[in-house]
Amino acid sequence: MGDLQPSTFRKRPRDQKSREETDPENVAESSRSSSFDEDFAFSDTLVALQMMRAQFPAGEKVPVRPFVLRSQLYSSVIDRTQVDRDLESLRRDRVLRVFKLNTGQDDHAIMFMDDYVNQIEGVMRRLEEKKQNDVTVFEWFKMHVIPSKLDTSIGHEELCSLMSLGGVVKENHITQLINAGLLVCQLIDRNMYWFSIPNIGSVLKGLSQGRKELLSLLNRKRYKEMLLATLEKQHLRLSPLDIRFHLRDLIGSGHLKTVQTPSGLVVRVAKD
Amino acid sequence: MWKETRDREFGNLRPNSFVNRIATARLSSIQLSNYKEIVSSHRGSVDSLQVDLTEGRYLLAGAADATVAVYDVQRATSYEGGGLIAKHKSVFVINKQHENGHRYAISSAVWYPMDTGLFVTGSYDHHVNVWDTNTTQVVQNFKMPGKVYKIAMSSQARSHMLIATGTEDVQVRLCDIASGAFAHTLSGHRDGVMSLEWSTSSEWVLVTGGCDGAIRFWDIRRAGCFRIFDQSHSQLGRRPPLLSRIAINKKSLAAGQSSNAKVRAPQRRATNGNALKAYSTGRISSHLKTTKQRLHPGMISSHDRATGHYGIVTGIKGTDDGMYLLSAGSDSRLKLWDIESGCNTLVNFETKRLQSTKPIQMAVSDDSTLAFIPCMATVKVFDMWSGQTKWTFRGHYENVNCCWYNEQDHELYTGGNDRQILVWSPSKFVSDDMDDCRKGQKTADAVDQDNWSD
Repeated sequence: MGDLQPSTFRKRPRDQKSREETDPENVAESSRSSSFDEDFAFSDTLVALQMMRAQFPAGEKVPVRPFVLRSQLYSSVIDRTQVDRDLESLRRDRVLRVFKLNTGQDDHAIMFMDDYVNQIEGVMRRLEEKKQNDVTVFEWFKMHVIPSKLDTSIGHEELCSLMSLGGVVKENHITQLINAGLLVCQLIDRNMYWFSIPNIGSVLKGLSQGRKELLSLLNRKRYKEMLLATLEKQHLRLSPLDIRFHLRDLIGSGHLKTVQTPSGLVVRVAKD
Repeated sequence: MWKETRDREFGNLRPNSFVNRIATARLSSIQLSNYKEIVSSHRGSVDSLQVDLTEGRYLLAGAADATVAVYDVQRATSYEGGGLIAKHKSVFVINKQHENGHRYAISSAVWYPMDTGLFVTGSYDHHVNVWDTNTTQVVQNFKMPGKVYKIAMSSQARSHMLIATGTEDVQVRLCDIASGAFAHTLSGHRDGVMSLEWSTSSEWVLVTGGCDGAIRFWDIRRAGCFRIFDQSHSQLGRRPPLLSRIAINKKSLAAGQSSNAKVRAPQRRATNGNALKAYSTGRISSHLKTTKQRLHPGMISSHDRATGHYGIVTGIKGTDDGMYLLSAGSDSRLKLWDIESGCNTLVNFETKRLQSTKPIQMAVSDDSTLAFIPCMATVKVFDMWSGQTKWTFRGHYENVNCCWYNEQDHELYTGGNDRQILVWSPSKFVSDDMDDCRKGQKTADAVDQDNWSD
């Protein structure tokens, strides 16, 4: 799936909608607006994930493979319990992995397994280019730890025991993994590590700043609302991620809500 | 409704389904009551509400200005508006002026489960007081090492009279009314305990939710906890009934890849036929093998760091059938746990924000289909198994702290930071209003003519 132009996200006129619905990429866009219209409910989590992965911006500004936030899934699929359960079964089938992010309460990023493996291989290639220490530890990580440990965190002993299936594990191996960004030490407990996506630091900063910028943009308005059509054309200065990403995330987490009006969808700051 | 009564009379409708239909109809019409009001005598936020379990008549409320009050919710003290609005004033109030009263905020007030002759209050002044209701005197006093967040007494207790107290200290203490001393303490939490509840199915089981995010089950006859809820252990919804579960178990045990699967509990099932997730104690035994330490079996649980929430567990509530547990955390998530299997059932309750610094008290309807949760300044009613918000009750001016559901009248009482106790009741039956329309007889009809005694 190629990168979709931002204009496809805008709500098309009604007569074109029936034609568009058969196209799987535009199913997303029409469902994005029609899930609020209640024209049809977008009921498949996997299709929603693939659609959002396709819309993820790629390029030098975003050095990370596509990931989807959990709140974005909540905003595009109607039944949240179904989303949770589908995610759980997809996670157990090793189709995707869930990572806990440190940007605020209970943020989770979902990445397809092949994207994550590609990300690790990218890290390995970069380290080999710089001719730094050997990258065997990443191989061990990729081959032994990732397929067997499906949770978001791992304990020190378990990590060592899984990696020793590949070879003798030394302390600086763990340090290498942490330096590469694959593991993060937990604050509460020094013996537990969170799994993490390498090179995601700048994207996470952009994520939290973009959220604040979008919320302040709407809060500055007189009635704290804006038409969705005009809102999409805005450009966020502080975030490399596009505005659709932030919109879905904020709607899914409940900070914004959409209201159907005669002139289209209106995005409003939720006060509750 | 009269047609249904006639059907029941003739045997066309079963009595159970008749009751369920009426209950469902009444529940779906709950709104801020326009015929019943509780006149709050508190000058601080209302933190705890409980209706007594024996009669369902007296509401005990504890507030942040160290006052405790009891209200009669069935008998009004006065009528207003031409007999249409019933006002319930407090039967008695205990405030700071009482010689043995509390000094600081009362965080929790519960009735003695057997009768309304005693009630127990726990307060931020580190004391737990046992009061005699008729004389309003303190009969026993327990001193705790820290602020008392929650107290509970078991409604199933037949052989003990223990008050479980959760404080800002890491240990849960059990106080015995019969002897006036502490029975024992339960250690295992790594931070204070903000919520606790006795199990609705066993008089020996206590559930605690701590400020470290862990939810632990304790059997008070043994040392240590026997179960810890881990949020990464999940199952997809309800477990299937027994026969299909045994069939699935046979398949999964044959294909099981996890070496830590406990053999002691063969009834545990795996959804999707995947590997059984190891019990937390199963992990601990492998941990012990590597460190070659010998620990007391009761202390094993203190090494387990599993958490139920990413934050403080601010409230727990078990269903009446003793099968499921709702827990609310300061990460603004509500989780529904299956008690027997110890797994998260992954029902997603849409809550944007929950109060994170104070304990909250939730309520569950008696057929376990609805959950009443205080979410900031509103009370949201969720469908238990789909997680959808059914209704939102907006009435308080500030954050709501506690709610209690009265099964007899299908009423909900909520208390909040705005010092009010609000009553949410089903709308009054239309024909009752029409009967009362006769002029001059309004006040007479409003007075219950069955309310007499020798």
